[in-house]
Amino acid sequence: MTFGRIRTRWFLPLCLLLVAGHVAREAVEAMPALGDQGRDGWTVEQLVESLKEGREPSIPFEEATYSSLLTEPLIVRGVLRFLPPARLEKDVLEPYRERYVIEGDQVTFESERKGVKRTISLEDYPALRSFVEAFRASFTGDAAQLKQSYATTLEGNRRKWVLSLRPHDPAGKAIVDSILFSGSEGRIATITVRAPDGDRSVITLSRGHVP
Amino acid sequence: MSPRRWIPALWLIILAGGLWFTATQLSVRSDLGDLLPEGSTTTQRLLLTQVRAGLSGRLILVALEGAPPDELARLSKLLGESLRGDGRLGFVGNGTQSWSKEEQALLFRSRYLLSRTMTADRFSESSLRAALNERLDDLRSPLAPMIKDSLPVDPTGEVLGMLQSWSGWDAPTKYRGVWMSADRARALLVAETRAAGFDADAQESIQRDIRATFQDLMKGNGIPVRLLMSGPGVFTVEIQRTIEAEAWRLSTAAAALVLCFLLLSYRSVTLVLLSLIPISSGIVAGMIAVNGWFGFVHGITLGFGITLLGVVDDYPIHLFSHMTAGGSAPVVMRTIWPTMRIGVLTTAIGFSSLLLSGYPALAQLGLLSLVGLLTAAFVTRWVLPACISQKFSPREVQPGWLPKVDQLAKGRTLVPVILVLATLALIWSDTPFWQQDLGSLSPLSDDKKQLDQRLRQELGAPDIRDLVIVEGTTAEDLLQRAESLMPKLEGLRTNGMLAGYDIVSRYLPSCRLQQERQRALPERAVLEKNLGSALEGLPYAPGLFAPFVAAVEAARSQRPLDRESFAGTMLGRKLESLMVVQQNHWVAIVPLRGVLDRRQLETAIAQWGEASASYVDLKEESNRLMTAYRDRTVQLLGWGTAAISIVLALGMPVLNLVWRVLAPIACSLVVVVAVLRGSGEPLSLFHVATFLLVIGLGLDYALFFNRVEGGEADRTRTIFGLVVCSATTILVFGVLAFSTIPVLHAIGMTAACGSLFCLFFAGVMARKDVHVA
Repeated sequence: MTFGRIRTRWFLPLCLLLVAGHVAREAVEAMPALGDQGRDGWTVEQLVESLKEGREPSIPFEEATYSSLLTEPLIVRGVLRFLPPARLEKDVLEPYRERYVIEGDQVTFESERKGVKRTISLEDYPALRSFVEAFRASFTGDAAQLKQSYATTLEGNRRKWVLSLRPHDPAGKAIVDSILFSGSEGRIATITVRAPDGDRSVITLSRGHVP
Repeated sequence: MSPRRWIPALWLIILAGGLWFTATQLSVRSDLGDLLPEGSTTTQRLLLTQVRAGLSGRLILVALEGAPPDELARLSKLLGESLRGDGRLGFVGNGTQSWSKEEQALLFRSRYLLSRTMTADRFSESSLRAALNERLDDLRSPLAPMIKDSLPVDPTGEVLGMLQSWSGWDAPTKYRGVWMSADRARALLVAETRAAGFDADAQESIQRDIRATFQDLMKGNGIPVRLLMSGPGVFTVEIQRTIEAEAWRLSTAAAALVLCFLLLSYRSVTLVLLSLIPISSGIVAGMIAVNGWFGFVHGITLGFGITLLGVVDDYPIHLFSHMTAGGSAPVVMRTIWPTMRIGVLTTAIGFSSLLLSGYPALAQLGLLSLVGLLTAAFVTRWVLPACISQKFSPREVQPGWLPKVDQLAKGRTLVPVILVLATLALIWSDTPFWQQDLGSLSPLSDDKKQLDQRLRQELGAPDIRDLVIVEGTTAEDLLQRAESLMPKLEGLRTNGMLAGYDIVSRYLPSCRLQQERQRALPERAVLEKNLGSALEGLPYAPGLFAPFVAAVEAARSQRPLDRESFAGTMLGRKLESLMVVQQNHWVAIVPLRGVLDRRQLETAIAQWGEASASYVDLKEESNRLMTAYRDRTVQLLGWGTAAISIVLALGMPVLNLVWRVLAPIACSLVVVVAVLRGSGEPLSLFHVATFLLVIGLGLDYALFFNRVEGGEADRTRTIFGLVVCSATTILVFGVLAFSTIPVLHAIGMTAACGSLFCLFFAGVMARKDVHVA
C-alpha cells in the first residue's frame, strides 16, 4: 500500500541538473555529444559544465501553476538549496511552509501545516525513477541511457539557450509531456514542466536575493 | 501339521500382510496441528484453530542480508517476483505491491461509508471551505498530479485519508521500493503460505523451494548474500526435523547397544533375532490400530510409541532366561505365563490411561502402545515358543554374582533412608515442581528465537503473543463492539502501554455506523448550497465539482458494505485474519505490538468492563492448556494405579504381595522425581507420561522378583532375566537422556532412572522366601 505519491514534476529534473553540474569534470567530459548542438557549437556537455560553475548554494524561486481546474494560476515562493554532495531541498516559504528533500533514493516531505513528515522511496514512483536513473546514467557518462530515456533538444546559443527533455518511458510520459529549461550561460532562468493534459507549472529562478 | 510348523508359518503370513498394509495403506502425517487438542474453552478452541490454520501461523518472514542496500533491493524484487508465481503462496509482500484498479474503484465508490473522517459536519459550508483551501495548497505542491484526477470527485480527500490511516503504523521503511530494515542491512519480505504453519511436509517443500529460488538468483553473483527465514512454519519444520533426526540417531545407537548387549548376555544370534519377533509384531499391530481408529498415524506418535513399546522386549527375555536344557520353550512359557500375564494386564491398564487423556497426541500414543503391548504378549505366549527349535538349548552364561542380587534384601533398612533423603531433596530443591513455561520445552535455539523477534520488529509484524479478543453473536454485533473498543485501544497506545494494534474496525465499520454516515450525508440541494458558498472567492473552474455532488447523492442510497464485499482483495485478506467465525460465533482478533507490561495491560483491559473483550497472552494460554492436560494425565495416572492395584489384589494369591509389588514402584517414582528436581528439571507432561512406562517396568520387575520359583537355579535365571531387561531399558533410555531435545531428554531420563530404581527397590523389597517353594 502506498501513500503520498509526490510526483515532483519539475523539481527533480532541476535537482538533477544541479547535481549534474556538480559531478566530477571527468565524468562530464567523458559524456559524448548529446542531442543537437546550439548554433554556436553550444552543447549539452558545455551547458552542464557551466551550470556547475554558475551554481549557487541557494536560489529563490517563484512557481506558478496553471491548471484546467483553476481559473487563475496558483503561486508559491521559496528557496532551492543544494548541499553537496547530493542533497537537494525545495523549501516553500509562501503562502505556507513545506519542504521537500531528495537524497539518494529517498524523498522526504515535511509539512508544518499538515503536521506530517514522510519519507518515500523513489522506487515506488516509476515516473520519478526514470528521471533519476537517466540522470544517474549521465553522471557516469552513460549517454546511451540518457538518450534511451529522453529526447534531448538544445536550442539557442550560449547567451540564451533552451534545453528540452521529453521522456520516452511510458511511466514518465504519463505525468510529464516535456520539461523545458531556459537560461543564459550557467544560469537557469525558468523551468516549465508541461503535463500531458496541458496543465503546466512555470518556475522562475531569481538571483542574489534570499528571503 | 504340528503346531511347531504352522504357527510360525501363520505368523509370518500375518506379519507379511501387516507389513504390506502398513507400507501401502498407512497414512503417516507430520502436521503438528493434528496432535493439538480441541481445547475446552471458547478462547482455547479459537486460539487452537488460529494456531492450526490462522494467518499469523502461515507467515514466513524472510530477510536478505550481507550486501549493499541497492543489491539487496534488487534481489528482494527478483525474489518477490519469482515467489509470486508459486501457487502455494497466497501472498508475497516485499513493499512493491499496491492496490489494484478494482480495489481502488471499490474504495472510491465506498469512501463515504468507510472513511472515519465522515461526520455530520463534514459537508457543512465551513468544513467544505477548509477542505477546498487545502486542495488548492495541494495543487500548488508536487502532490498535484496525484490528486488532480480525484479532486473533482473527492474534494475532501477521503480516499487518501483512508489509505493513510491504514498504512500508517505497521509498514517497514522502504528503500528503492522494497521493505528494508532501518539500518538498511536487511531487505525484508513476508510470504503467506496456503498450507497451515504446522503442516511440516508442505512447509518444508515451500521453504526448500524458496531457498532454491534464491540460490538461482544468486547464481554468478559474487556477493555472498544470506537468506534468513523465520516464523511458525519455519519453526515447525525445524522442530520436526530436529526431533526426527535426533530420535533416529539415538534410537539407532540405542538399538545397536541393546542388540550387542543381548548378544553378549546370551551369546546367541538366534535368540537375539527371536527377541525381535514380539516387538516387531507389536509395532505393526499398533500402527494398523492407530491408523484404523484415527485415520492416520502421526510421525511423532510412531517414534515415541516404538520407544514406549521397548518394554515388551522384556517378555522374550524372561522366556529365554528361564529356558534350560531340560524344559522346552512351550513348557517354560506355560510356567512363567501367570506372572507375565498379570504384568501385561497391569501395564496395559497403565497405557490405556494415556488413551483417555483426551489429548490427541497422547491418545494415539496410548492406543499404539496398548495394542502393541497386547499383541507382543500374545505373540510371546503363543508364537514365540513354537519358533524355538526343540533342540535349541541356550548356553548357561549366568555370571556367578547373580545369586548375590538376592542379598539386596538385606539392604532393606536402606529404603527408609533413601526415601527420607529423596523427600528432603524434593522439599528443599529450588527447582519449581512443574514446568510452567512451555517455551522451555522447545528445541529451538535462542538465536532462532531472537532472529524471529528481530525480523518481526523490523517488519512491524505482530509477535503472535499478545491479543485482544472481542466476541459477538453476529458479524454486525462484533463490528459494533469492536468499534466501541477502538478509542480505548488508542488510549492504551497513547499511554505507551502498547506500540500498536490492528483491529477489523479500522477497515470495516459496522452496518450501523455506515448507515449513520449515510443519514448524515446532505441532500443534493443542501450540498449544492453549501458548496456554492464555500467556493466563493476560490479560483476553481466553474462546475468542477458536479461529480462530487453526484457521488454524495449516490452514496446516500448505497448498500452498506460487509466482509464479503471485499472478498478476493488485499483488504479482504486482512479482514479474514482479523475477524473469524466459528460455529456461528464471531470473534475479532486484535493483534498487539510492543506490549510493555503484560500484567498492567491485562488490568487496564479488565477495567474497561467489557465482557465481550478480553486480553489473551497466547503464551500464557498455551501453557495453561498444557497444564490442564498434564493435570488430567496425573489424575488418570492415579486412577490407573488404583485399577492396577485392584487387578493385582484379584490376581495375586497373597494380599501381602500386592504391597510388595506396588511399594517398590511408589518408592522409585518418589526417588525419580527427587533426582529430576535435584538436577534442576521441573516436571512436564512428558515426564508424567513416562511415569506410566516406569510403572509398567516396575510391575514387571516386582512380579518376577516375587515369583514363586522351583529352586535356586530357577531363581538365578529369574534374576538374570530381570537384570538383562533392566539393563536394556537403561541402555535405550539412557541414550535418549543425552538428547538435546528437551522432550526426548525428559523421557529418557525418567525411564532410565525409573528402570534402575524399580529394579533396586523391587529387589530390596522382594520376599525372602521365594525360592523355598
